[in-house]
Amino acid sequence: MQVFLQTLIGGITFGAVYALVAMGFSIVYRTMGLVNFAHGSVVMIGAYAASTFYMATRLPFAVAMVVAIVVTGLIGLVIERFLRPLENKDFTLMLIGTIGFGAVLEALAILIWGATGHAVPNPVATEPINLGGVRIPTYSLLVIGVAAVATTMLALFLRRTKLGAAMQAVAMDHEAATACGIHVGRSNALSFGIGAGLAAVAGSLIGPMLYVNPTMGGTLGIKGFAAAMLGGFGSMPGAIVGGMAFGLLDAFAAGNFQAYSELVTFVVFALAVMIRPTGIFGEATVNRA
Amino acid sequence: MLYLAPAAVAAWLLPYGLGGYTMHVVDVAVIFAVLAIGLGLTMGVAGQINLAQVAFFGIGAYTVAILTTKTGLGFWPAAVLAVVASIVAGLLVGIPALRMQSHYLGIVTLGLALGFINWVTNAEIAGRAEGISDIPVPPLFGIDLSSGYLYYYLELVVFVLALAFALFVTRSPLGRRLRAMRDDDLAAGALGAEIPLLRMTAFVLSGLYGGIAGVLYAGLIQFVAPETFNIGNMFLLLAMVIIGGRASVIGCVVGALGLAFVREALLDVSAFAQLGYGVIVVLVVVFFPKGLAGLPAQVFRRKRAERPRLSPFIPYDEAPAVEAQTVLEIDQITKRFKGLIALQDISLSVPAGQIRGIVGPNGSGKTTLFNVISGFYTPTAGRVRLAGTFVTGAAPYRLSLKGVARTFQNLRLFEDLTVRDNILVAADRTRTSWIWRYLALPWTVSTYDRGLRSRADDVLGRFGLTGFADVVPRSLPYGIQRRIEIARAMAMRPSLLLLDEPAAGLNGDEVRQLAEIVRSIRDSGVTVVVIEHNMGLVMSLCDHVTVLSGGRVIADGTPDEVAVDPRVVEAYLGDSMAAPTEDDTDREAEHEHADR
Repeated sequence: MQVFLQTLIGGITFGAVYALVAMGFSIVYRTMGLVNFAHGSVVMIGAYAASTFYMATRLPFAVAMVVAIVVTGLIGLVIERFLRPLENKDFTLMLIGTIGFGAVLEALAILIWGATGHAVPNPVATEPINLGGVRIPTYSLLVIGVAAVATTMLALFLRRTKLGAAMQAVAMDHEAATACGIHVGRSNALSFGIGAGLAAVAGSLIGPMLYVNPTMGGTLGIKGFAAAMLGGFGSMPGAIVGGMAFGLLDAFAAGNFQAYSELVTFVVFALAVMIRPTGIFGEATVNRA
Repeated sequence: MLYLAPAAVAAWLLPYGLGGYTMHVVDVAVIFAVLAIGLGLTMGVAGQINLAQVAFFGIGAYTVAILTTKTGLGFWPAAVLAVVASIVAGLLVGIPALRMQSHYLGIVTLGLALGFINWVTNAEIAGRAEGISDIPVPPLFGIDLSSGYLYYYLELVVFVLALAFALFVTRSPLGRRLRAMRDDDLAAGALGAEIPLLRMTAFVLSGLYGGIAGVLYAGLIQFVAPETFNIGNMFLLLAMVIIGGRASVIGCVVGALGLAFVREALLDVSAFAQLGYGVIVVLVVVFFPKGLAGLPAQVFRRKRAERPRLSPFIPYDEAPAVEAQTVLEIDQITKRFKGLIALQDISLSVPAGQIRGIVGPNGSGKTTLFNVISGFYTPTAGRVRLAGTFVTGAAPYRLSLKGVARTFQNLRLFEDLTVRDNILVAADRTRTSWIWRYLALPWTVSTYDRGLRSRADDVLGRFGLTGFADVVPRSLPYGIQRRIEIARAMAMRPSLLLLDEPAAGLNGDEVRQLAEIVRSIRDSGVTVVVIEHNMGLVMSLCDHVTVLSGGRVIADGTPDEVAVDPRVVEAYLGDSMAAPTEDDTDREAEHEHADR
């Protein structure tokens, strides 16, 4: 039982990060139908930006996070500007274009920070909280808390602000949105910026939990992507639930299959999406004559 | 064909001018070329996003390594088993493609590739992270294949065979069906292409080429380790195929050879190399979506001196009158979508040689009915009979092979196929299980294809489309595209033709031509069911009209009978007594608002 609860906490912590990554994917996907395979690399850049700034300046971790958000947000705008001619057109080309961007970001990270990577000190170096024999790291609480705040802010933005409503409108029908006087290009750029910002939050949070290195984006991106699919592509609640589900799947696979956890995770994932390709919250996108 | 001879001579003489290390680089490049052909076939030709190609490569190489070093099997028996293993892996990875496409498929295949790497880095039998060394040199009639020079000739033979087979497949009926599936899988299904089997075929080809490349790699390097098959190399492979031009087999080869050399040249500055090809992939995707292969056409865009004209339709020969039988019989069909009842208890029967009109207001279920008849939807209840046999719920390709052809309301032509290829896809009436011939009896395929081509030329000529045979439909005016779709349906030699709003968007002259074409089709012995909103056309063209409203049949009879039926008038014009007047438009608007 203790082991179970301990694994559960680890799973939820990683799940919170995957949920952030998945939300970043989803917000871009729903507004412009673009599947951003570079998202994982953006997360990696966010992790580097936050950790480098944090370790170099010794300013609070929150400040480092904001710096990372600005950096990745700008990268997001650049990617969006480049791929704008393909938006809502050829799916496969967009997908490959973003894979290209991912490779570019990874190469840039190697050129700037070197191929080896670095460890990040824990910003809240206190003893874990002991709760009936289960040790909860304080950093886990921080991760879950920050993820919850980011999610709430995003939800409020989408629901309560005019800009957010405009983005929702573009998501539903970009042509109708244009007819209503919404600048679709600007709205798309904004959602790409927000997606990249979420990636930075996820990246800066994951830094102290993993070793920050240029190739971490690949695995993180795929896992976040898989989480988004599991929840239902383009659905925000789906991203959260999918992220959590994938975090738990990952944690329990690691607990039971040790070294083979990745194999088990992806096989289970493949089976799950085969049984239900639309995910938990996804709507059936039946393309019929 | 002529330009092939110098290429062959150059390839044959190449080793004489190369140093030992360069020869090795060439050997590796050729392996990547084989791999890239496989990826090009699955992704570019068949449109299946397969990011597990590098895993098939790995399975081929690892199977050889494990079988030769752990069980003592000889190299060639191990090689055969390795290719079989890769094909089986291709089948397994392809199963998700039956349920999902595009990015979904991409992420699932990528995930499974990661799973494979995870397995080989940890499994005892695969030598963990150190990999497996001491794979034996393949024996070949006393030729010493440990020499990179002699190995090159072995690779060359395999490569030429692999390339020839790939070219043969892409230009054959199978390749056309794969490309049709890539452009529009629903339309391809309606034309007789068995989509699930075709998708699996694409993955089998992927596994086949991956396995062959893996065997060659194991024999060349005599060592396998996980990092050769990592995601970075998957990306490199993808870059090769995209830069070269994914839909062109030759383009894939050029891309693979080119990038393999570039990578070798920039080995010391690999981060810059990765930056470079990342940037190139982005630029290619945005500016040259067809890659190097599409470049000549993009640069030397030919200007036609004169646009070909649409020739007149040549009527079909009249078929001798046959005894009246019922071609299509629909019995109490109901179709529900969750809460919505789209069709309720629809019954109708269409005798042979009739032109049946289906009319009704928008949303009355006409297209849903067509989708049930052509197999896109399985009805919730009721039965469909085609010339006496029950076909309820049969897949579209089966119905197509049984003689049901259809067109679509909003045109579903294969955009990247020429008009001739569009017709050829429809003319091919074989089951996909016919494909064993591609391996066993390739010459029969060529003979069959020649037959198809002459039939397609007949259809093109009859519909006056010969002048447009070699252009893509997208570049043609709407009216001509509509005619191509009817020609494509008729190339299937159907017994029942379903036309979904064939006159939509046509001008008066084109509507007259359409009526002439449809009558001639009927006179040739094909039964026609047509959905149409142009009531003038329906009145003059149809022998019998069925009126749908709200998913039910509200009237059925000759055009004249139906036109005066009060229920039909009501359905079309609304009950005049209940219609809103100026006074209550505000209330009406409010009501409408609440409805949303």
